[in-house]
Amino acid sequence: MTSQKDADNLSGAYALNALDNDERTEFEAQLGESEETRNEVTELSDTAVLLGLAVEPVEPSAELKTSIMAKLASTPQLPREVAPVRTLTPAPQIEDDAPAAATARIRWFTRPVAALTAVAAAIAIIVGGGVIANSLIDNGSQVAEANQLAAINAADDFQQTVVDVDGGGSAKLVWSLELASSALIVDGLKQLPSDRTYELWYIDAAGARPAGVFSVGSDGGTWQVLDGKMAKGDTVGVTVEPRGGSESPTTDPIITVASA
Amino acid sequence: MLSLVPREPEISAESSKEGIARAQQELLERIALGDQQAFSELYDSIAPRVLGLVKRLLRDHSQSEEVTQEIFLEIWQSASRFDPNKGGAATWILTMAHRRAVDRVRASQASRNRDVKIGIRDYNPDYDNVSESVEIRVEHERVEQAMKRLTELQRQAVTLAYYGGYSHSEVAAMLNVPVGTVKTRLRDGMIRLRDELGVAS
Repeated sequence: MTSQKDADNLSGAYALNALDNDERTEFEAQLGESEETRNEVTELSDTAVLLGLAVEPVEPSAELKTSIMAKLASTPQLPREVAPVRTLTPAPQIEDDAPAAATARIRWFTRPVAALTAVAAAIAIIVGGGVIANSLIDNGSQVAEANQLAAINAADDFQQTVVDVDGGGSAKLVWSLELASSALIVDGLKQLPSDRTYELWYIDAAGARPAGVFSVGSDGGTWQVLDGKMAKGDTVGVTVEPRGGSESPTTDPIITVASA
Repeated sequence: MLSLVPREPEISAESSKEGIARAQQELLERIALGDQQAFSELYDSIAPRVLGLVKRLLRDHSQSEEVTQEIFLEIWQSASRFDPNKGGAATWILTMAHRRAVDRVRASQASRNRDVKIGIRDYNPDYDNVSESVEIRVEHERVEQAMKRLTELQRQAVTLAYYGGYSHSEVAAMLNVPVGTVKTRLRDGMIRLRDELGVAS
């Protein structure tokens, strides 16, 4: 066990990234115990940044920006999350050796990105009308949906589950019962003919409540915040319905995700 | 008492600096939602700073651009985790950049073989290289003045660690002093710099 004095002694080395990985991890673990040390580390880290700002900038090559921009579409973004106890690491590290499961989980969130940045393209391929078409055309509600998705991802009771889709593709449900809200993120779904639409349902013992319709683009992916309130134990389902959607399901669900 | 207000390093042009900091923070918020245009703007505003810092540690230009690419992809990936209550966007980015550069320095075999004596000579801050930019000159000058207030050992230890990317045990070997002494000097030196640069709140 390292004494408090030792922990304090390492604050300078920590702020300068002069610790090795093991020492860094150990030091960060101890930071939770002392507000005084945390404050000192924050201040010394800010001081280190001033050393960095004193360095002469170097103009990157034009190719560097081109190369980075080209990689954005295939680079997943982390969802917002509320960390229970923040370490003082100002830059959360993406683990290079993240397990495949974690990578797959992150990958899901490239879909909202694509959906948000390709609004014009999305409008062109909307076939079903309804909620998603409105949300994509109306920038305000599009942002509201994105905010709602972010809120679900950031909720304290955030949960998620992934299922395979009958007929190909996969679907991920993210939800928060505190917010009584959920969103479905789909990948690899087939495009429907123009007289059909995907429809979302909240399903409980009393039956299925319509929760909005959506379409997918040529890449088979999109995401949708469900209409209405989610209740504990609800199953989320997706069926194929006539254009415009139905009041109750007319076909068997291709996706069912139990939230319990 | 340390307050949790967003803090940016001070420089003379306070208002424009605050404006830049606020703009960068807004860009990060948009980037977190997948806005590539915002990413492009943030890149333009801070990439030369990031590359400058990385190249200071790595020297090699193409390797430095590689690491800069990793850093910007990390910004893209983790923009949602940026918390303005913990400090400004530039602070977040430069902290990330420094850590990445240090990781690369330590990972590369060449760096392991670096001649410690050459290291000391080469990693002395190059204050004579005065930038054309007023803002950078001001920052140079402030850091240079603050560095002068350190003892020789503090200055060497801080310089080798930050601008050289050396670990405290490497610094200890290079300066021929015990590791415990280096830890203490790094902390004392940084506290002195903090006070000289007015970072303490």
